[in-house]
Amino acid sequence: MNATKPKRQQVPHKLRFTNEDLWGYIFIAAAMIIFCVFTLYPVFSAVYTSFFNYKPFGSEFVGLKNYVETLKYSKFNLFYKAALNTLIYTAVVVPLSLLMSFCIAVMILPFKKKTQSVFKAMYYLPGIASGVALSVVWLWLYDSSPDGIFNRLLGVFGIPAQNWLSSTKTSMLSLIIMALLSSHGVRIITYIAALLGIDNSYFEAAELDGATFFQKVRFIVWPLVKPTTLFLLVTGVIGSFQVFMNAYMMTGGGPDNSTTMIGLLIYNNAFVYGKYGLACAQAILLAIAIAIMSLFQFRLMGVDVEY
Amino acid sequence: MKKIIALLLTCVMVLGLFAGCGGGKTQETKAPKNQPAAGAASEAPAEAAPDTIVIMAPPVTGSYLENLKVWAADFHELYPNLTVQVIETSWGDHNDKLSTTAQAGEAPDIAEISSNALGTYVEMGVAIDIAQYMDADRLADYDANALKYLSLEGTTYGLPLYLTIQSIGANKTMMQELGIDVAKIQKEGWTYEEFLDVIKTGTKDGCYGFVFANSGVTASDMLYMFGAGAGLSNAFTPDLKYTFTSENMLTLLSAIEEMTKSGYMPNYGVEAGQRMVMCQTGNAMIFGKAMPLFEANFKKNNAALEAGDGTAVENSLPMDYAFLPVPTMLDCQESCYGTVDGLIALRNKNTTDEHLKNVLLFMDYICSGERIATCMNELYLDPVCQSGRDALVLEEGRDADNLATAARCIAMVQAPPEGVTAEMTSTAKKLMDEQIVPKFQLLLAGETTAQEVYDHICEAAYAAFGEENCVSGKLG
Amino acid sequence: MATTGLYSQHLHNKKVLYLRNTVIAIILIVLAAATLFPICYMILSGFGPNVSTAGNMRTILPSRLTLESFDAFFHFSDYSLRWILNSFVVAAGAVIGNVIFASMAGYAFAKIRFKGSSFLFALILVAMMIPYQVTQVPLYILMVQKFSMTNTYAAMILPGLCTAYNIFLCKQFFSGLPTPLIESAKIEGCNQFQIFVKIILPLAKTVLAVMAINTFMSSWNDFFWPFLVTNDPSMYTIQVGLKQFKFANETLFAPMMAGATISALPMFIMFFALQKYFMEGVTIGAVKG
Repeated sequence: MNATKPKRQQVPHKLRFTNEDLWGYIFIAAAMIIFCVFTLYPVFSAVYTSFFNYKPFGSEFVGLKNYVETLKYSKFNLFYKAALNTLIYTAVVVPLSLLMSFCIAVMILPFKKKTQSVFKAMYYLPGIASGVALSVVWLWLYDSSPDGIFNRLLGVFGIPAQNWLSSTKTSMLSLIIMALLSSHGVRIITYIAALLGIDNSYFEAAELDGATFFQKVRFIVWPLVKPTTLFLLVTGVIGSFQVFMNAYMMTGGGPDNSTTMIGLLIYNNAFVYGKYGLACAQAILLAIAIAIMSLFQFRLMGVDVEY
Repeated sequence: MKKIIALLLTCVMVLGLFAGCGGGKTQETKAPKNQPAAGAASEAPAEAAPDTIVIMAPPVTGSYLENLKVWAADFHELYPNLTVQVIETSWGDHNDKLSTTAQAGEAPDIAEISSNALGTYVEMGVAIDIAQYMDADRLADYDANALKYLSLEGTTYGLPLYLTIQSIGANKTMMQELGIDVAKIQKEGWTYEEFLDVIKTGTKDGCYGFVFANSGVTASDMLYMFGAGAGLSNAFTPDLKYTFTSENMLTLLSAIEEMTKSGYMPNYGVEAGQRMVMCQTGNAMIFGKAMPLFEANFKKNNAALEAGDGTAVENSLPMDYAFLPVPTMLDCQESCYGTVDGLIALRNKNTTDEHLKNVLLFMDYICSGERIATCMNELYLDPVCQSGRDALVLEEGRDADNLATAARCIAMVQAPPEGVTAEMTSTAKKLMDEQIVPKFQLLLAGETTAQEVYDHICEAAYAAFGEENCVSGKLG
Repeated sequence: MATTGLYSQHLHNKKVLYLRNTVIAIILIVLAAATLFPICYMILSGFGPNVSTAGNMRTILPSRLTLESFDAFFHFSDYSLRWILNSFVVAAGAVIGNVIFASMAGYAFAKIRFKGSSFLFALILVAMMIPYQVTQVPLYILMVQKFSMTNTYAAMILPGLCTAYNIFLCKQFFSGLPTPLIESAKIEGCNQFQIFVKIILPLAKTVLAVMAINTFMSSWNDFFWPFLVTNDPSMYTIQVGLKQFKFANETLFAPMMAGATISALPMFIMFFALQKYFMEGVTIGAVKG
């Protein structure tokens, strides 16, 4: 099998490509083609459109106008309010749900195979509930009448009934609780996969040093699942910055825009008000914000910083 | 150096792939404005050139899409050269799909829209002036009032399917037991004070006199509906000034504030799905928003209760339904809030003059005559075209009082003034969604006062339209 | 070995072990119960009487148990079963594509040092950051205008054939594998392809299973894109089909939930079929030593 190897090397050498380079390109070729056609092309197109007053038949170039309009501060410009809402939502939901998923994944491990699979299934299953069922149930849980499920629950503790989604005091909290109690299946399963990849010899060594359970989690498990945490953190922040469905289904952004997210704003501009160019500009600004956040996370996590 | 070359190479590779795959990014924005040119070119072929008409519609009624396919087939028999393709959408996602396809320049030829979304498509540059593509006497078949909803600045963009009125409904049985003269209210309307008295009478232990589905975006329904009773039927006056800054708005907001604090209606957010259920289970006497159509739901539920087959609403009681007019605020004229749902013609890359004539032929076909009569019977509404009214054979067993009330309310609906531009409607829409409704939600939650909301509305409206273009003082 | 060394502390004391596991189990069950609530509601409504509109159901248990809603689901359209089949084809296509392409790309980004890799990887990440609301319009133009793919499986599968998310996931996983393992294989004369197939893939079963399950789930639950590119009821996926149960003034609620319950079955099967792959960790250390 090595016979052909030297021959192959010669061609790329002229192009200053090493064998390694070539293999890299071969491995990513299919992925990159798919990526360029179905992801990168639409992305570039959106960037391009953001400089236009977009109309399906005859857009006009407006330069930076869409960006200026988005960023121009006024009491009635929702962009800043939406940005703040999105930031608060992300800052609470992403770290907490990561922590919860990590803890649950760690807690599932001590059981026997059968029990483990039952638990995994229990945490995975909520993800398969249809979106419609989900929204019906959540609206019903948050029913603000005294008969609402959460209100009855609060009643048990002697707390008065809340006007959940309809009050500015509780609307954001309601969306956050919903996100925290919704499915963690994907994250938990990803964490479990990472946890199972940790070799026992690490723990054996730690045991000889008399490490406690929490020390083992802190000094062995946490550092070793860091790439996974980084992955979940970055994708979690991306998802959370783009959050749209929850606000769209549950509150429509109200009351008093207390749950208006950037994702909702972009959606409204693109498909309700027909200002697609403006929506693109807002999406680009959002992407820049996410990119900065991600870079910060890569630095913070201290692993894998190659870019 | 090596690094830079590598970077350049990857860039080239990416761009190469890019160019190889998509290619035509330029086309997307500069899609040919082929209407005049192609129209002239295709003059040559005879009238009977084959053509396909694409229509996108949601299930307006339970059987609408089924009917549409039958009508499409009938139409094809009438005009063998014309084929109709129906794109079925789902309720609630229709606008998303329509918007996306329209933005992509791939809009269907005909699409169902609600009149308040018209401005968006006009601004997008895809809506088509239909008057030039259909016979004037066919256009005259439609009520001018309904057509106004689908017009901007004197240009008509579509044909109305129906004019729907949104008002309130009630447990007629309970109201009569309490000695309230339902028939009088239905025939003559009522004032806000009378309404307050009635809902006070109706409020008992475990039962609210009035409930309105007002959580989330549905809060705007309450604003529009009671707004009609406060003289705020439209966002603009006939001389094109913005009306929501008038004193009428303050009157309306104060009334709403009073209602939420009265204890005669829930002081918390109520989901859309709950309102009718609350009425049917005896937890509320009057509910909103309500349409004449709900009579069918009540009848169905009564039948289910009688049959005892378990499909009735849980814990519901047998009762009759009364469709009621909205109460009229102090010194205002009685009115009713209405919107039009219609079909509009849209531009796509197949659009030519010849094609548009065919499109309008079909649009007119399904908006008129027996087709629309069938549809209106299901919706408990009156057709808004003469041929539809002529073809209408009323279903058996309709409540005569409700029918008369609906007819009375429809007659009171005030169509939008002429001369409003697409830009004005879209500014008004944005103002409504982003400033007015959010503050209104705050009022409903009891977290602000009517005066504060009013001040905010004025400030926002002045910023959007200029103070000189907004009404101050009372509406004339 | 099912448990890892993380929990070796009380292995010798049966009582403490028992107590500890019981406490953990209780916490896990309580947390799971909260997240399982919607799906229980979905399944139970499906077995309830054929009622319309959702506001009706104020209790979890339906007034009586019956299969009439399932019957109504299957009789709602000629294509009810076809929708499930379509969903299956689309989701399976996405899973296969991602398992092959994303794992290869992920491996390359993690372990092959080639020119421009950081740039290309950063590009992939950045592309993830643009919200789909604005990219779906150009994507739609591409699929419908340029490729004329309306109503095809290809239109539904291709955009999700190799997602940035999965490339990133694989990259993160593979970067945790010991590099000496690969170096030694190279010295033995293996080329990258052989290394990938013979050494990496066997070690990657866990992450591939995770990826397959997650991809299947998200593809199965995707609504808007299939809705956009299908006009023909026979090409709907189940999620698009289920939305047809909603009308202007009423929702055929119970049949819809029955349909959602049926549509959840394949995901169930998928999960149990694949979960053995991440039941036990892959011992990398053994090779590494």
